[in-house]
Amino acid sequence: MTQQALSMENKRTPDPSPFRGLGGLFTHDRRWAWGSILGGLALWEFISRVVVGSKLFLAAPTQVVMAMIELTSSGEIWKHVWTSSLEFFLGYFVACFLGVALGLAMASSRAAKAALQPWVSGLYATPTVALAPLFILWFGIGIFSKVVVVAVLVIFPVTINTETGLLTTSKNLIETVRSFGASSRQIFFKVSLPSALPFIFAGFRLGIGRGLIGVVVAELFGARAGLGQLISQSAETFNMPNLFAGVTILAIAGIAMTSGFQALERKLIPWRE
Amino acid sequence: MTASTHKLTVSRLTKRFGDLEVLRGINVDIDRGQFVSIVGPSGCGKTTFLRIVGGLEHSDSGEARIDGRVIDGPGTDRGFVFQQDNLLPWRDVVSNTEIGPEINGKLGPEQRARTKKLLELVGLRGFESYYPRQLSGGMRQRVNLARALAVDPDLLLMDEPFSALDAQTREIMQTELSRIWEEGKKTVLFVTHQIDEAVYLSDRVLVFGRRPGRVSEDITIDLPRPRPLDIKRTPAFVAYVEHIWKLIENDVRVSVLEEHVG
Repeated sequence: MTQQALSMENKRTPDPSPFRGLGGLFTHDRRWAWGSILGGLALWEFISRVVVGSKLFLAAPTQVVMAMIELTSSGEIWKHVWTSSLEFFLGYFVACFLGVALGLAMASSRAAKAALQPWVSGLYATPTVALAPLFILWFGIGIFSKVVVVAVLVIFPVTINTETGLLTTSKNLIETVRSFGASSRQIFFKVSLPSALPFIFAGFRLGIGRGLIGVVVAELFGARAGLGQLISQSAETFNMPNLFAGVTILAIAGIAMTSGFQALERKLIPWRE
Repeated sequence: MTASTHKLTVSRLTKRFGDLEVLRGINVDIDRGQFVSIVGPSGCGKTTFLRIVGGLEHSDSGEARIDGRVIDGPGTDRGFVFQQDNLLPWRDVVSNTEIGPEINGKLGPEQRARTKKLLELVGLRGFESYYPRQLSGGMRQRVNLARALAVDPDLLLMDEPFSALDAQTREIMQTELSRIWEEGKKTVLFVTHQIDEAVYLSDRVLVFGRRPGRVSEDITIDLPRPRPLDIKRTPAFVAYVEHIWKLIENDVRVSVLEEHVG
């Protein structure tokens, strides 16, 4: 085979991204995508101004933008964004760290697996966000209760993906390095871990969405500040523009973090098909 | 231990998997620098035998020695070429090739130079920084071979390395292997299903019988080297192939039947 033929083969790597639609905004078919978004916003604007006609029930996109500008210039928004970010990142990183550790334990020890499996499966299937009011009762309305909720939501997909990734390591690859006299430590670091990386990263990525839900829901049940608190307070005072401003910021954060994470994955695990 | 010319000495080797007797009383001596193939029907234990010599499997009784040392595990005195290429997808050609030296803490400028030479030898010059998914099946097998040679083994163990390749690529790889072997004169133990492949490559062919696996005949291939591909059409070559086929034909028929009956 010639070098040229090879390099041509490389070009058609498929895009496995579940966010292909969003990527499409910047490549082909973009006219349809932009048209659809602008059409949707125009329809929303029309319904809220003409059909509903009251800011108390529905805010138009332009009103939301105005609210965001106001919240930003008054500086109020930063308090909320800072509080929610702190809660999210603390809970998220603790959960990723512990999740990988639990996954490692379950993949490497039969006893750990047997002891942890029922809890992990059970709690992963439970909508643990329903425990948010309980955590707030226990840990108060400060940030700690929210950090706990985020961590509880994020830890299980990370644990399960880490374990699955390590266990699906090809036996053939392990045997190959073993034939060169590799120790079990070398087998772990040179084969099992890199082979599990795509799974572990997928777990981290799943954790982003779940963690954001955790922050908001926990704040709805009682908080001094945060985007969830902004949303619930705005709902109580029928301030729809502020409510939608909070939701919009969360949506932007979710999209930005997920696609940023995908870029990171492409950088760190370029061998993945 | 007396200094013998034998690189590998196997005596009274037996192996069972549960009730199944896979190998019974295997006695084999292989000379330094010899290219020896093992052929036989499915289920004759040839791969198990190779894995025991590679230290990937333990025998139940008897022993195998390399230069007088008893084999009791894998080691860099042997290089194993697997049936599947088993390349690590996250490593490029160079770092896949160097995994053996890396594991044994022998990575350095000297190894770098050796790797470069090796990749040239197997015809992969210019592909050093390619990843496995960018390579064809034949090229991946070349990396597989280079990886085994990178530890500079005394004994090269090859388990049907070309069986996953198409017929044309396979013939090319046979001539390449023959050329590489003639340059280095390593001792090679080569397991294959294909009789003509065994005759073409080897100084000696061991024919294995099945249930239990044992050496049913030890044939010296007396053909001149280097061997061009068209040697496969000479009467002497064809006679060897015919002779070996006659030896295993019956076993093959039985094993095919068994596979179909279940």
